[in-house]
Amino acid sequence: MQFFLRIISVLAVVTTLFFISKIFSGFTDPRYSQWRDPLATWLTGLAVLNYFMTGFSSLANSIRQEQMQGTLESVLLTPINLPTVIVASSAWDFLETTFFSFLYLFFGRVFFGVQFRGSFFLAVIFLLLTTVVLACLGILSASFAMVFKRGDPFGIFLGAGSALFSGVFFPTQLLKEYAGPKLGNISLLLPATHGLQGIRQVLIEGHTFSQVTQPLFVLLGFLVVLLPFSLWVFSRAVRRAKREGSLIQY
Amino acid sequence: MTIVREPAISIRNLSKTYPVPFRRLRAFFRRPVKEPVEALRDVTFDVHSGEIFGLIGRNGAGKTTLTKIVATLVQPTTGTVTVRGSDSVLHDEQVRRQIGLATAEERSFYWRLTGEQNLMFFARLHGLSDRIAKQRIRELFAKLELEEVARRRFGEMSTGNKQRLAVARSLLPHPPVLLLDEPTRSLDPLAAERMRELISSLAQQDPPVTILLTSHNLAEVETLCERVAIISRGRIRAIDTPQHLRSLTSKSEQVHVTVSGLNGTNESERISFTRQSGDNQLDDRLRDLQKRGARILDVDTLRGSLLDVLEMYESKGEAE
Repeated sequence: MQFFLRIISVLAVVTTLFFISKIFSGFTDPRYSQWRDPLATWLTGLAVLNYFMTGFSSLANSIRQEQMQGTLESVLLTPINLPTVIVASSAWDFLETTFFSFLYLFFGRVFFGVQFRGSFFLAVIFLLLTTVVLACLGILSASFAMVFKRGDPFGIFLGAGSALFSGVFFPTQLLKEYAGPKLGNISLLLPATHGLQGIRQVLIEGHTFSQVTQPLFVLLGFLVVLLPFSLWVFSRAVRRAKREGSLIQY
Repeated sequence: MTIVREPAISIRNLSKTYPVPFRRLRAFFRRPVKEPVEALRDVTFDVHSGEIFGLIGRNGAGKTTLTKIVATLVQPTTGTVTVRGSDSVLHDEQVRRQIGLATAEERSFYWRLTGEQNLMFFARLHGLSDRIAKQRIRELFAKLELEEVARRRFGEMSTGNKQRLAVARSLLPHPPVLLLDEPTRSLDPLAAERMRELISSLAQQDPPVTILLTSHNLAEVETLCERVAIISRGRIRAIDTPQHLRSLTSKSEQVHVTVSGLNGTNESERISFTRQSGDNQLDDRLRDLQKRGARILDVDTLRGSLLDVLEMYESKGEAE
């Protein structure tokens, strides 16, 4: 039941955005090439934001849930390794998110004639890369949950931060114009900004691989630093919980 | 000829003090700071391959901490634990492949899944294929009399069935080493007896399962275990066979003999005396009674129990 209600709510959001986009038709500032069709831009933004939120909150939530249920000890007693625990704990959430993210694009195209061009394959590569980078932040968040037995501060911070600073609902350039370069540059520190920029360049502007190397390399840079760091922090967090004997405390 | 058995679990100078999380930070913010808790101190012993080894002690004595350290769920402060040659900290994954742990903790299962689904999930985490897992689960359900509740949600099961399910889960991957933390605590007397038979049979099978058993049921420990360790305030106070441990409290035992036909009467009579363990007094007394025409109806002896030994070490610990 909840599943079907979620489908309807996605359709409602897409429909609402369609009507809001009609207010702006013909008024888009030519400097923002990705925003010529605001509906297409919002839909890609929302679809991808959905993914990003799952990336950094799913693992922390499932670790927290396992801790509260008391099942974390039983899972960690089996001979599976930590990366498997990490991937398996959030696999279902990613599968579910893939479906709902796809729905935003599907409803936009089928009911409101939104045109996406460019290589879907390249867009998926961007999506996967950005998701893995954000999942690294999710692993850091899960480490926090394991040690401090508290919710998900990174998820809240990065979720709200990504919505505001990474250009999901408006061009990031506007931040610089209105809030100054210091605040505007925050968006550059967020992997979501680069991921979203790349995906929109591909799907909305129809850019090819050679035209999107800049956001791609930035994301790869994030990945090279964050992946080993987050895995190291997580293994330290598990070790700390074992030292304190607090694997199933909450 | 004495058969020397390899140690399956080897514990050396093991100490565990639970740290207080963020102690300095709490002190800095002038929050109340608790003292670190010393759970184990300098524990050393071996559990031989195929042995049922009992661990007894009061609540909070350190039994569960010790079991969890062997199971790699808690890290020791100092000292080492090796399970069949693998260090529990350095090679924890290898250790986890060789052990099964069943605790009386009810929070270790997924409450919305059925017993069968729960075991299937853990069987997959142990790397069992679906076919082998299903077969193994069927076997274990039959062995532990869980068939009737196999499709019942874990949350709807009785405490006893939950406990049996925990034992079934610990046996899923055929572990050569089994850690049982109060395996009969919530079972009815019949189920508890069957569980004891199962535990006993595991140690006798080929290859045998090594079992570290913690329990508050001293009669159970006495029946099942080859050797018993007494743990008090985190320290191992004694390790020996139950018989030797019992003899530690008192070298003497009370003997009560019920006889009839003594002095030409048919009335039954009770004769009591104290003997030193190993002396000839019982033999002499019985022979004398038979000579006097008595028919021996019953002989009852009252020896020191494991409870006495436990009390003795507990009061020694208090004195320290």
